Amino acid sequence: MNLFFAVLTPFLGAVLVAWASRFGRSHAAWAAGGVALTALAWLSPLLSQPFAGTTVVQRLEWMPSVGLDLVFRLDGLGLLFAGLILGIGLLVILYARYYLSERDSMGRLYAYLLLFMGSMLGVVLSENLIQLLIFWELTSLSSFLLIAYWREREMARMGARMALAITGAGGLALLGGILLLGEITGSYELSVILASGDLIRGHSLYLPTLILVLLGAFTKSAQFPFHFWLPHAMAAPTPVSAYLHSATMVKAGVFLLARLFPALSGTPEWSWLVGGAGLCTLLLGAVVALFKHDLKGLLAYSTISHLGLITLLFGIATPMAVVAGVFHIINHAIFKASLFMAAGIIDHETGTRDMRRMQGLWQFMPFTATLAMVAAASMAGVPLFNGFLSKEMLFVEASEMASQQSFGWLLPVTVTVAGIFAVAYSLRFIHDVFFGGKPLELPRTPHEPPRWMKVPVEVLVLLCLVVGLFPAQTVAPLLAVAAASTLQTALPEYNLAIWHGFNPALWMSVTALVGGVLLYLVRRPFSLLHDRFEGQLDARRLYNALLQGLMVIARRITALLDVGSLQRMVFVFIGFALLLGWMGWSGDRSVLTGSRPLLPVDAMSLLVTAVLTVISVAVVILHRQRFTALVLVGFVGLVVSLIFVKFSAPDLALTQLLVEVVTVVLLLLALYFLPQHSPVESHPLRRSRDGLLALLVGGGVGALAWAVLTRPHSSIGDFFLANSVSGGGGSNVVNVILVDFRGFDTLGEITVLALAGLAVYALLEKLHISGPSQNADGRDWNWDLHPVIMASFTRLLLPLALLVSVFILLRGHNLPGGGFIAGLVTAVALIMQYLANGVAWTHSRLSANMHPVVGVGLLIATLTGLGSFVFGYPFLTSTFGHMKWPLVGDFELASAMAFDLGVYLVVVGATLLILIHLGLMHGKEPVRGKGGH
Amino acid sequence: MEALLAFVIGLLTACGVYLALRGRTFPVVLGLTFISYAVNLFLFSMGRLSIGQPPVISVSANAYADPVPQALVLTAIVIGFAMTAFVIVLALKARADLGNDHVDGQN
Amino acid sequence: MLTVALSIAFVLVGAAVVLSAWRLLRGPSAPDRILALDTLYINAIALLVLLGIHLGSALYFEAALLIAMMGFVGTVALCKYLLRGDIIE
Repeated sequence: MNLFFAVLTPFLGAVLVAWASRFGRSHAAWAAGGVALTALAWLSPLLSQPFAGTTVVQRLEWMPSVGLDLVFRLDGLGLLFAGLILGIGLLVILYARYYLSERDSMGRLYAYLLLFMGSMLGVVLSENLIQLLIFWELTSLSSFLLIAYWREREMARMGARMALAITGAGGLALLGGILLLGEITGSYELSVILASGDLIRGHSLYLPTLILVLLGAFTKSAQFPFHFWLPHAMAAPTPVSAYLHSATMVKAGVFLLARLFPALSGTPEWSWLVGGAGLCTLLLGAVVALFKHDLKGLLAYSTISHLGLITLLFGIATPMAVVAGVFHIINHAIFKASLFMAAGIIDHETGTRDMRRMQGLWQFMPFTATLAMVAAASMAGVPLFNGFLSKEMLFVEASEMASQQSFGWLLPVTVTVAGIFAVAYSLRFIHDVFFGGKPLELPRTPHEPPRWMKVPVEVLVLLCLVVGLFPAQTVAPLLAVAAASTLQTALPEYNLAIWHGFNPALWMSVTALVGGVLLYLVRRPFSLLHDRFEGQLDARRLYNALLQGLMVIARRITALLDVGSLQRMVFVFIGFALLLGWMGWSGDRSVLTGSRPLLPVDAMSLLVTAVLTVISVAVVILHRQRFTALVLVGFVGLVVSLIFVKFSAPDLALTQLLVEVVTVVLLLLALYFLPQHSPVESHPLRRSRDGLLALLVGGGVGALAWAVLTRPHSSIGDFFLANSVSGGGGSNVVNVILVDFRGFDTLGEITVLALAGLAVYALLEKLHISGPSQNADGRDWNWDLHPVIMASFTRLLLPLALLVSVFILLRGHNLPGGGFIAGLVTAVALIMQYLANGVAWTHSRLSANMHPVVGVGLLIATLTGLGSFVFGYPFLTSTFGHMKWPLVGDFELASAMAFDLGVYLVVVGATLLILIHLGLMHGKEPVRGKGGH
Repeated sequence: MEALLAFVIGLLTACGVYLALRGRTFPVVLGLTFISYAVNLFLFSMGRLSIGQPPVISVSANAYADPVPQALVLTAIVIGFAMTAFVIVLALKARADLGNDHVDGQN
Repeated sequence: MLTVALSIAFVLVGAAVVLSAWRLLRGPSAPDRILALDTLYINAIALLVLLGIHLGSALYFEAALLIAMMGFVGTVALCKYLLRGDIIE
């Protein structure tokens, strides 16, 4: 369970931090730091286990019926990443406290950062691949929020969109890859997948699987040709860049390569795809980085290059290369995070990130400059710093590959060239910023940053030095367990030392260092050349063109389908439904009439049907006189509820009746603001066309109903009928289904009702239209607002109606009634008071605020459901017992009745919310009509 | 009896479809009301017809109507009201913003 | 005896339904139609009571009670509209 809580803590913490930020900026920082430490504390009891060689797997049953569990895993690789995420996360939290200006919302940044931290922990600690993917997508989403943190900036929004589009598309590909892996191995759990490498590699679906997984990894880790989103993501605040775009999120891609290394590697396809992408990225990133003028742009391309380096090492795929790859993950995270933080300090202090404008900052901030120099030396691969060690291991691997392939010499040469560029851009980062003359018109005069802003950089730089000087005593054990769990086999023999004697790798290092310095000195003409062609050879252009094309196609399709006229769309829609129905029926050609014995027709039903027919047709003919049509519709509703009564559905009849009345009130309220007549608009031809369609659809639906009604019938209803009294404690089966058997559905339905009520309220809030001051015949409205007889009668009726509603609510479990019906009765009784006595009279006696009623109703219904958890039953299990009430007699009390009370309150609240606010829409205006004597 | 109900369902559908194809918001809302009557009756009829057998358990009853479609339709009626309310308020909003009550916002 | 009485009652209520429906259809004025609808509600009550007697079940009487109440509210709302246009003010 510890792992689960470690992952959960940051998510909960995000909410806590957002709340804590109300009390001040430091509170938010303390809270965020506390959350990260808590997550660390959850992990700490398990930390020793990976070092002892055991893999911790913790399982939490989630949906056992479909075989879905939450499974977490802690092994060496997961431990390494969890350490990076939490450790660097803590430093970033400290750093961000001083980086953000007073105007920026502290709580929002920390909340997003913690969301990201939780998602990232989920990725590295997941045992189940589907679960890993969910967290993977969450990292994309939280990174979107973080990049777009300064949402008023166009560049930030654009960068965030691009990052989301690319990594999201990659996530989709990864999902495909994971599903294929599950298909091949029969499991989504890593322990199975990692053990079935031979099965996967021998399978016919291996290549598609590999490509899909690699698409996911490459997009996330900004590998060529998907690298272009990373520089644009630099629009994020620098703490975010330090955390996400150097140390953690972009490492998720290489993490995936490492994680699935035993399952997927070891084939020529793997070597070519992974190694090729890595090599291209390594070189491209290094070259472009040298010519970037933006401080963070340089670091971004350098990050791309280093990610390419790690990918290349995994592509080489010898055990030693994997050790080097894991080692470089650690080293790069340390030095690059500190460099980003240093860049942030410079940006913070000078107000610019353009290296052409700043020089000679040494005299203003010597301490920061020293820190940056150490980190940059590490980035360049200078001996005695940690970056040197892993880069040297790459050189060794590359030179050993040279003899094994026909074009093998290309590898060491390319790697050395990339090394030269790395030295050159590292030198540029230091020399251009801190030396070389005086700064040019900086926006503000720089000085050393606040004390605590430097601490995170100091910690990281110290690590660079310690790891670089004493690798065997510091990082070796962690590296060993991480590499071992990546390989899933025994580790190769290796020796973490600075001096390995005179071997080819040493000469490559020397070449890179000397060549780098020389390249930096002669870089000007190349730089000018780059500036001239910048932006022309950019994958972003392709991306934009692709996006534009997609939009154009989408617009064309929309224009093709959407003609901009509801009438025509509805016509086509209904016509198409008719066509489909016709095709389905004519394809089957089964007989229309089934074998079920029919009920005899009685004269009364025939008569009522005939009257209904006349009235319905009259509605269609008279629909232009809207008030008349409305009165006639009232009759149709009445007949529908009589039909329910006739065919043994008393609950439905009651509901229909009540809804009919509130609908009439609703439509009358609206009709006041609408024209009283519809004009004759459509051509007679169009009307007959519509009429024909209506007749065909009516005939079709009638035939369908006939076909169903005459066929024999078997239903799950028998189960409910048999178990209603014994299982639900009520004899009204319809109500027992609603509040007990299918209570979860009802909870959803009242939620919809509540939402509809709130939506109507929201729509009405800013709506102001005035109604006519005269009626349709041009006469003034009556002066008598509330005729006294009507008012008196309705007041008398109120207690009676409320009594009826309580009665119906209480007995609903056993006889027709229940929360829905009782709620409607109460709503109608109250609406009646508004009708007859007016708003002022009613509001002076009853609070008009219906929002709490809806909320409390939903709360009661949900709590009743949750209550069954307390007793160890599934959600919404009901219980019941009998009790004797004085006067009433034997009375059954079911927990479902509390649920029904919730339903009741929601129905009352939502109905009144809708009707009253529709009625109050013009409440602020003076009383209309000249007749207000 | 089945034929009568099938006819009523067809009739209400036909009236509803015709009204839903009109060009003004109010008749369209009336049409939707008709269609929801028809749909509710149609769903209800999936449990077949029975007279005098309400699904309320009692010792004297020997058969019951199917309660499942009834439970389904009961909530459908209430939610139907909420949706009607939403549509009519949208119509009012359109009338306020566009100055007319044509479904396409133009006379 | 009861069957005969029921049959006669059904015929009479049926006639009432037809006549009220005629008024509902013809109008000519809006108050005529509202009155007709109100009468139809009362006819429905009668029908329900007769049906209850016919089937020997009391379940229908409550529906009749609610129809009486709802018919009243519907009539009030429609009349208020005719009088004032704005029914909740």
